[in-house]
Amino acid sequence: MKQLFPVSHVMGFVFSLVLSLVALTVVFYDMSYAMGMTILLITAFAQASVQLLMFMHMGESKDKVTLYTNIAYALFVGVFTILGSLLLLVWDI
Amino acid sequence: MKIDNSLPLEYSTEENRLKILGFWIFLGAEIALFSTLFTVYFVLVNGVGNGPSPKDIYELKMVLIQTFLLLTSSFTIGLGIHAMRLGLKKAMMTFFIITLVLGLGFLVFEIEEFITYVHEGATIQTSGFLSSLFTLLGTHGLHVTFGLFWGTAILMQVKKQGFTPETTNKSFIFSLYWHFLDVVWIFIFSFVYLKGLM
Amino acid sequence: MKWDEFFVFTHDPMLFAAMISIVLGGLAIFVGLTYFKKWGYLWTEWLTTVDHKRIGVMYILVALVMLFRGGVDALLMRAQSAVPENGLLNAQHYNEIFTTHGLLMILFMAMPFIIGLMNVIIPLQIGARDVAFPRLNAVSFWLFAAGAALLNISFVIGGSPDAGWTAYFPLASLEYSPTVGNNYYSLALQISGIGTLMTGINFIVTILKMRAPGMTLMKMPMFTWSVLITNVIIVFAFPVLTVALALMMLDRQFGTQFFTMSNGGMDMLWANLFWVWAHPEVYIVILPAFGIYSEIISTFARKNLYGYKSMVVSMVAISLLSFLVWAHHFYTMGQGVMANSIFSIATMAIAVPTGVKMFNWLFTLHKGKITFTTPMLYSLAFIPIFTIGGVTGVMLGMASADYQYHNTMFLVAHFHYVLIPGTVFAVIAGFHYWYPKVFGYQLNERLGKLGFWLITISFNVAFMPLFILGLNGMTRRMYTYSEETGFGPLNMLSFVGALGLALGFIVLVYNIYWSARYSPRDTSGDPYDARSPEWSTHSPVPVYNFAIVPTINSLDAFWYAKKNKAPFFEGKYEPIHMPSNSGQPFLMGVAFCFWGFFMVFSWWIPAIISALGIFATMIYRTFERDHGYYISVEEIERTENALRGDKQ
Repeated sequence: MKQLFPVSHVMGFVFSLVLSLVALTVVFYDMSYAMGMTILLITAFAQASVQLLMFMHMGESKDKVTLYTNIAYALFVGVFTILGSLLLLVWDI
Repeated sequence: MKIDNSLPLEYSTEENRLKILGFWIFLGAEIALFSTLFTVYFVLVNGVGNGPSPKDIYELKMVLIQTFLLLTSSFTIGLGIHAMRLGLKKAMMTFFIITLVLGLGFLVFEIEEFITYVHEGATIQTSGFLSSLFTLLGTHGLHVTFGLFWGTAILMQVKKQGFTPETTNKSFIFSLYWHFLDVVWIFIFSFVYLKGLM
Repeated sequence: MKWDEFFVFTHDPMLFAAMISIVLGGLAIFVGLTYFKKWGYLWTEWLTTVDHKRIGVMYILVALVMLFRGGVDALLMRAQSAVPENGLLNAQHYNEIFTTHGLLMILFMAMPFIIGLMNVIIPLQIGARDVAFPRLNAVSFWLFAAGAALLNISFVIGGSPDAGWTAYFPLASLEYSPTVGNNYYSLALQISGIGTLMTGINFIVTILKMRAPGMTLMKMPMFTWSVLITNVIIVFAFPVLTVALALMMLDRQFGTQFFTMSNGGMDMLWANLFWVWAHPEVYIVILPAFGIYSEIISTFARKNLYGYKSMVVSMVAISLLSFLVWAHHFYTMGQGVMANSIFSIATMAIAVPTGVKMFNWLFTLHKGKITFTTPMLYSLAFIPIFTIGGVTGVMLGMASADYQYHNTMFLVAHFHYVLIPGTVFAVIAGFHYWYPKVFGYQLNERLGKLGFWLITISFNVAFMPLFILGLNGMTRRMYTYSEETGFGPLNMLSFVGALGLALGFIVLVYNIYWSARYSPRDTSGDPYDARSPEWSTHSPVPVYNFAIVPTINSLDAFWYAKKNKAPFFEGKYEPIHMPSNSGQPFLMGVAFCFWGFFMVFSWWIPAIISALGIFATMIYRTFERDHGYYISVEEIERTENALRGDKQ
């Protein structure tokens, strides 16, 4: 039975639950917008990393450089699409 | 077909390695897709028109249940792949079935949430904000739905054929897909619900 | 819906003639295939093929047909505006024609032509036997074909999209475009876009994982590099289009509020999303062109490509920058000065890597032993003409100055000066250049050069006047203008140029016919004494591409092998594993086409049935167990001997 539950996976699961709870603090505690967003950004990206590295075994294959480049490229495009669109359509500068 | 026995079965042939890499690149495209949906949501989140605002409709309890179900399913499918690598067919299938059941549970709660919204007069046609919300959640939900069918088809093949380079490859790729849906959900949880309730 | 809204061709004699010609053409093909008993051949050799070379040929064939369709649109537009107050086309028809011209030329001509060349050449250039996912490749093609068919049906059934190829809201909304035209837009582009996305994934994996032994990334031919970067852009840009089109469909057919002007929607969001995709799209059609020119210029200058590394670096830079400049398409939309300035600077920055490439080509030519073949002529003409397009692009890229140029004919002239010498010249040059590889004989050089001069001169006659017209204040998309404006003479000149262009393309098509009949067979497989590995195998290429996979130890390894009289292929024949043909991708395409058509008209029940058909093909695929087949050593020997025997 024990071999079915490897430590890394259990740890990953615990991490993701803890990170979700930490993220929840932004709802229950009164804090500034900047503070709240910082917490959410950190917990969300940390959780995503847990999934990618611990569950999806991103670093295990010989193509890992390609995989990291791929995700980095996707994040580059995603982040700049979001920020650029907000800059053009929402933020008033 | 050349089989390399030093690698896990799902990586053992050249074709399998190509498919795994191809699927990762597809996930890159999926990141771009969901980023665009998030863009739409962030641009329109204040466009509530005469409809309700995020704070009026989001319910933390429902969201937490969905989050817990999906996080757990991501954990169990990881265990499923681990069992597969140990060659334990029954354990692998059990974990996959648990995963799909949790996915179904997630979907039931999501649909219930949608029904509640509609009863409160918040439909996809009400405002820019709600159109973008339903589309973002709906796209994720459709991915989960598709995953349920896909996972079932793979389980049928594993049951019949056992662990072969093909079936393990399909199962592994399916697990990548499922974990990815969890990653997307984490961002929905954080930047749609928690930010909306902040 | 009334029948005369459905069969729109009954409204207009010109559309009626088009309908008749479509029906007659279809009938002729049907009768011809039946008479010559070619249905079986068509099915087994083409419709079910997973061979990258044949898929490439089919892409190019569709692209040529669409070039004709889009070209007729262009001629009609130029004819309509040739004289003031012209009544050849009415306003609605003119709107439909400039819309479909843009859509067809970019998405159903430039893209498939490039993807076709990519399909034919890339596996050969990297010494592979096929692409990474041959079956997916066929799916890509048939989805593209389904989208193309759908958009062309719109012409006669239901009405074409009429809000410009950019389909800006609110104009493209149900309120202002009540016909089904823009439903066709959202669905046809959606279906073919999914196919393109799959092509992107397929070619990235192919290039990264299937190169011949020894071919490191920095030893790849430049066309392969350009295609790799292009496909990276495809993979990250096309999902944006997928989303934008889905939202358009939801807005038009399901009453959502994304791009409405009340209830919290935002019409500008469409323009924003559209250009987030469409600006990278510009680089998707131009980068492979740069790759083609690099191949041709180094081949016919008899020199290795100057500045290989800087070429690669500049393309990678372009791929990233291309995602940062989209707002320069709508400086006048009302965003802040700060936002415009940021995008303006990013836009001008992108001219730098492009300039680097220009100098690299010039230095490759410098002191080269240049032979002036048809593809080389196109490549040489590209350099100065494209520079005009690039420089006017930098003018348009300055946000403050753009307020003057925006939406004038100056812009129309600019993007034709970029796209025609950039992409169209490149695909024609590539078409001439690689034609012998696919068909085993060259296109006639005299006819090729005649076509070149006609096309190049007429192009300038057609589009140079538009710069002046634009600066004089003529806006784009005007279906007519009064005589007092004084726009008449230059528009007439432009029409004359358009006729010349048409003549040039007729010469090109005639050349295909003439060469098929009279051109001598090229038995060498390497008619130009070229540099990259695709020339090392036979022409036409056997189904397995290479009997023995070459080992590549340098850039231009094939060239050095020839110069040093060293063998390029070493080793002995081994059985070759090949993928089997399948009808599933074709049927999937058909199901998608029906689904799209029913969705356009909001006929839900048939749409759901077609969707189930799509899923059925997917389910079939997941349960299918197909391990391909092997070509035996004896059969390879037989094929090779036959191909070599030809040579003697």
